Amino acid sequence: MDIEFSTADLAFQQDVQAFIKANLPRGMDMWTKRSEWFQALRDKGGWDVAKWPVAFGGPGFTPTQRYIFDLEMSRNSTPPQIPFGVTMLAPILMNYGTREQQERFLPGIRDGSVNWCQGYSEPGAGSDLANLQTKAVLAADGSHYVVNGQKIWTTLAHIAHWMFCLVRTDNTGIKQEGITFLLIPMNDPGIEIKPIITLGGSHSVNEVYITDVKVPVADRIGEEGKGWTYAKGLLVHERTGLAGIQNSVLALSKARNNALQVKVGDGTLLDVPAFRNKLGALEAELLALEFTELRSLASVSAGSDPGPESSIMKLKGTEIQQRISELNLEAAGVYAAAWGEQVGPGFARAATSAYLGTRATTIFGGASEVQKDVIAKNVLGLG
Amino acid sequence: MDLAFTEEQNLLRDSVRKFVDSQYAISGRNKLSASAAGFSRDYWQQYAELGWLALPFSEADGGIGGTPVDTMVLMEEFGRGLVLEPYLATVVMFGSAISMAGNEAQRAELLPAIMDGSLMASFAYAEAQSHHDLNNIETSAAADGDGYLINGEKCVVLNGQSAGKLLVSTRTSGTSQDHTGITLFIVDAAASGIKRTDYPTVDGLRAADIKFTDVRVSAADQLGETGKGYAIVESIANRAILALAAEAVGAMEVLYQDTIAYTKQRRQFDHPLSEFQVLKHRMTEMFMEHALAKSLCMKATMLETQGSAETQRTIHALKYLIGKASRFVGQNAVQLHGGMGMTEELRVAHYFKRLMVIDSQFGNTDHHLERFVA
Repeated sequence: MDIEFSTADLAFQQDVQAFIKANLPRGMDMWTKRSEWFQALRDKGGWDVAKWPVAFGGPGFTPTQRYIFDLEMSRNSTPPQIPFGVTMLAPILMNYGTREQQERFLPGIRDGSVNWCQGYSEPGAGSDLANLQTKAVLAADGSHYVVNGQKIWTTLAHIAHWMFCLVRTDNTGIKQEGITFLLIPMNDPGIEIKPIITLGGSHSVNEVYITDVKVPVADRIGEEGKGWTYAKGLLVHERTGLAGIQNSVLALSKARNNALQVKVGDGTLLDVPAFRNKLGALEAELLALEFTELRSLASVSAGSDPGPESSIMKLKGTEIQQRISELNLEAAGVYAAAWGEQVGPGFARAATSAYLGTRATTIFGGASEVQKDVIAKNVLGLG
Repeated sequence: MDLAFTEEQNLLRDSVRKFVDSQYAISGRNKLSASAAGFSRDYWQQYAELGWLALPFSEADGGIGGTPVDTMVLMEEFGRGLVLEPYLATVVMFGSAISMAGNEAQRAELLPAIMDGSLMASFAYAEAQSHHDLNNIETSAAADGDGYLINGEKCVVLNGQSAGKLLVSTRTSGTSQDHTGITLFIVDAAASGIKRTDYPTVDGLRAADIKFTDVRVSAADQLGETGKGYAIVESIANRAILALAAEAVGAMEVLYQDTIAYTKQRRQFDHPLSEFQVLKHRMTEMFMEHALAKSLCMKATMLETQGSAETQRTIHALKYLIGKASRFVGQNAVQLHGGMGMTEELRVAHYFKRLMVIDSQFGNTDHHLERFVA
């Protein structure tokens, strides 16, 4: 056993650090020089698509290199990629799409010129996703589908050019069968988007109404009726990415600093035992979760399954995200109530906002209660 | 980074597991616990023959040269069996103190006797007023000719009853709260002036309160430098915490797995209990607490092995997390076993009690959380 990275991995880590130092836009440039950053990543040898296989232009990282890469990117708060195209749809295109579909869609996904959104959830299909009812009927001549239905909680639908979508093409068998995976252009006149304002006052999710939208059969991924199988692999992918451990490491150290800025009596908030102990408990649990991720990584690197421990990552990771947001909210004190710009300490408005926003983390990507069902069944063998 | 166990470690795990599975069924274990000694001297001899008692000692001292990771492997399996023999007290606590701080003569005298199974020992550190502070020591050692006279009382000395030697923390200067002025002595358990009161601990092990009245020790019995014993005490505590944590990880594994098995066969309301969602979720949470505790146990043990600067802080986090996880897993194992969880008949109760005791040793959750976050 050796807790240190190998010499080669350490060299890789230094390479990543040096790259970030040389190329990461700082301050206001973070917003204006975003595309330069992604171009630099691309020029480095496919680092813009770190998880893609070599055959599709990815860097071919080992599992440990990928971990180190993510670690350094998170630690340095590099500009995030919108995951829908590059992380979620791309693997499905690579595995199940035709060569033509790959050539048509992957370049736009990679250079960020085409935005994607995910059309999965429906009013009647949340955690029970397979219950979806949006209907696609194949035209008599077999050239296209006519799609009708409604999607909901569609993140960034309002800026998306395309939506990858699960639709029902058959409802005679069990509900997981008869689901088909279609690519739908968002500029179709039959698409209507209604914003949903979430409790933090922000607009990122939407309702999407689909009325008589014609989708060519060429824009179907894989076979008709196999969409559930394609999407399921991706859902696992989505869940493992949602633990956000390195972001939490960063957020927790910021929370500690925030507490140090807050004067309480003659000391700071960090001197208040009740607060301090909550912070400590979180730090300890996060240390344990971080090492749990490494245990999974070690299994994968050794060519085995990620191991049963990996199943807890999303569940525990999102709980920790929420608890960190609670600490910041408490640190904001009376300003937790304020909802104006630039009121109170610098972190206060963001704290209130984050507390509200992170409520979603234990709901999306498989609600925590569903995650527990899945672990109970798949890991613990409980019927 | 390499988190795989070595072939030797896998063999060690297999052989300890085989021993525990064949010799440590709960009924036999409880019979042993109720016997006069409270454990099996035959087993202890087997441990010597298997090399387990030599595991952490250096090859130069005649040992196997194992690391804390090896001890973790062994203790996790001991935890799965609720092993009674005084491995923690003798090998981990007393033994590591001698191997870390002992001079040549002390190592040559004591380590071979531990390794061949002839010497069992204890570490007498706690006092009635100490709570969990290892430096809070009133037992005094006053210079007397070329030696010292020890006076005071130590409490809940694990394995006190069977120990041939006691390692005693004393105060040679300063007041009870000081971290300096602490000196360690190796005391013969049969020395005159020692009065021992033996009692069982709630988990079926043995402890003793030991009163020292003008107990004479020579300069040769002193371990480490005068007044600088606290660093040794801390090192022993760290090794003990790592071992206890591994034991707790093993015990928690049994508890969550026993609970799964029990709820699958126990039927109420025409269904196995394992079909009720509220219970499935609870067991998932037990599994999760165990997995996280195990992760941190591995991390802290590897840091200790590599002498990392992060070790102390991580050990505080570990003892906190082990205590928290143990309480959750233990309490819910009893709860989900229902009335049967309250009986001595099922092994659940015994694992529950062992975890309860582990939290009280070398600082409980609150103690270590305070130090971790400081």
